[in-house]
Amino acid sequence: MAFGHDPRELLAILASGSVGSRFAIEGTLLKSVPLLLTGLSVAIAFRAGVWNIGAEGQFLTGALAAHVAAPYGLAAAIAAALVAGALWASIASLMRLWRNAPEVLTTILLNFIAIHLLGYAVNGPLQEASGKYPQSDTTAAALPTFGATELHAGLLVALVVCILAWLLLYRTTEGLRLRATGYNAAAAKHAGINVDAQLVRAMAVSGAIAGLAGGVELLGVTHRLFERFAAGYGYSGIAVALLAELHPLATLASALFFGALTTGAGELQRAANISATVATFGQAIVILTLIAFGRMRARD
Amino acid sequence: MPAIDLLLLAVVAATPLLLAVLGELVVERAGMINLGIEGMMLAAAMTSVVAAQLTHSVVLGFAGGVAGAAAVGALFGLFAMVFRADQIVTGTALNLLALGATGFVYRELQQSAIFSTAAPRIGRDLVVPLAWIVVPLVLALVVWRSMFGLRLRASGEHPAALRAAGASVHAHRWAALGVESLLVGIAGAHLALALSSGFAENMTAGRGFIALSIVIFGRWKFKGALLGTAVFGVAAAAQYALQASGRGLPFHLLLALPYVVTLLILCGIAGRVRAPEALGRAE
Repeated sequence: MAFGHDPRELLAILASGSVGSRFAIEGTLLKSVPLLLTGLSVAIAFRAGVWNIGAEGQFLTGALAAHVAAPYGLAAAIAAALVAGALWASIASLMRLWRNAPEVLTTILLNFIAIHLLGYAVNGPLQEASGKYPQSDTTAAALPTFGATELHAGLLVALVVCILAWLLLYRTTEGLRLRATGYNAAAAKHAGINVDAQLVRAMAVSGAIAGLAGGVELLGVTHRLFERFAAGYGYSGIAVALLAELHPLATLASALFFGALTTGAGELQRAANISATVATFGQAIVILTLIAFGRMRARD
Repeated sequence: MPAIDLLLLAVVAATPLLLAVLGELVVERAGMINLGIEGMMLAAAMTSVVAAQLTHSVVLGFAGGVAGAAAVGALFGLFAMVFRADQIVTGTALNLLALGATGFVYRELQQSAIFSTAAPRIGRDLVVPLAWIVVPLVLALVVWRSMFGLRLRASGEHPAALRAAGASVHAHRWAALGVESLLVGIAGAHLALALSSGFAENMTAGRGFIALSIVIFGRWKFKGALLGTAVFGVAAAAQYALQASGRGLPFHLLLALPYVVTLLILCGIAGRVRAPEALGRAE
């Protein structure tokens, strides 16, 4: 094996580090919460045929807004995260409608802008009072935790959003319109669906959920903002959604899988000093394997 | 900073970007949209440094960069053409693949001489005049004035017609990917060996995505590509100058400026923009 590691030993660490103990399972569940939310965000957008690659940026703006609104209470912080994510995503949908700028690029560019906005915030106006590190003070509100564990109420929030997303897509006419637009926009238009409105709505809902993911991660896990806050959760959401074939309920299982992978990769870094970027590599391999077997075919 | 220095800085710093724009333009003219260009350039930056360090030669470093980009390009072609996978999803996956793989290799070998000592630097930078004058001229002639170029454009506009004429759409799309791999490989190597003194994680910092935006801004034309890159380059150079002067916006907001400029560039496409008809579709 390259770089002098025994693969069997690594697999054992990956397994024990993700599901091998109560502590490990707790870690996997904690990582699954943001992945479930960003996965749902991507699934809804892709279902509607909207290329929102911007969950990363929406995650960050959601967390930023939640931190700023936290002094007004937990509910205000959550609401701020939802609204900020939706607004940040809507920049892309409006640019698409007004100027025909493809959202696949504008959402990515907005990710970079959000990253530097966060960098500015934690080095400037939101930096901790002591001014020592580029991070914020402790956020004024926090999600309640379950008993003596680190598991927080965000787990329930994510599960509720998962069910709501399924209801929206498969049990409402609005969801039917969204899916029809994604399946064949020309036919949907012909059937009298306002395709532009679907684009705007799908992007706003998708952004709101990604923003919520950021808010929940802040209020439940990190309790502070810092430069590398997003840690790729937005991009991981794409892998989560694709493995679930863009189905909200399957996203739950997919998020648990990638949660275990991420947690196991963290353990690899601690135990075998292997960079946790292997998790990113693993996500790419999963997506490529899926599309090689005919998922996400290009249109003819 | 005098205006002429600013302009020179703009031209040199935007050279990798220009090469990426030119490569992506050719690929999109052939009917594919390669979002994986970001990962292509990142992989090239790493393989160029590894090759340059192992051989102590800048030229072989550039060859290594081209090999790295070609590996990603081959994967893109395999998924987009052979497996007929969605090109946006393929490109996104390849970006994650390159980010994860280069991050892994970099941290594993961080202590070794490859990444801890300065890579050989380019002596006389021939890449800059090549990228700004020779490559656009040659590409424009080939794409707009040759039989091969006509067929390449046909595979992007009306693949069925090309097939009916007895030519292979896939062959032309592979050729376009080859051109892109060559140009983006040089771009990644130039970034690592000329503009920097080695590899850093995620050092491409979105240049691939900015290149995709400039291709659209330039309306899939070589003149537009040059103009768009020049506009972006001057804006980026102005940002360096502001940074160096220590006045104006805080540092982190200045870092966001290139991406804001690109957003504005994308929104500047007034009126109807016509992309190649078959862009992003399987053959």
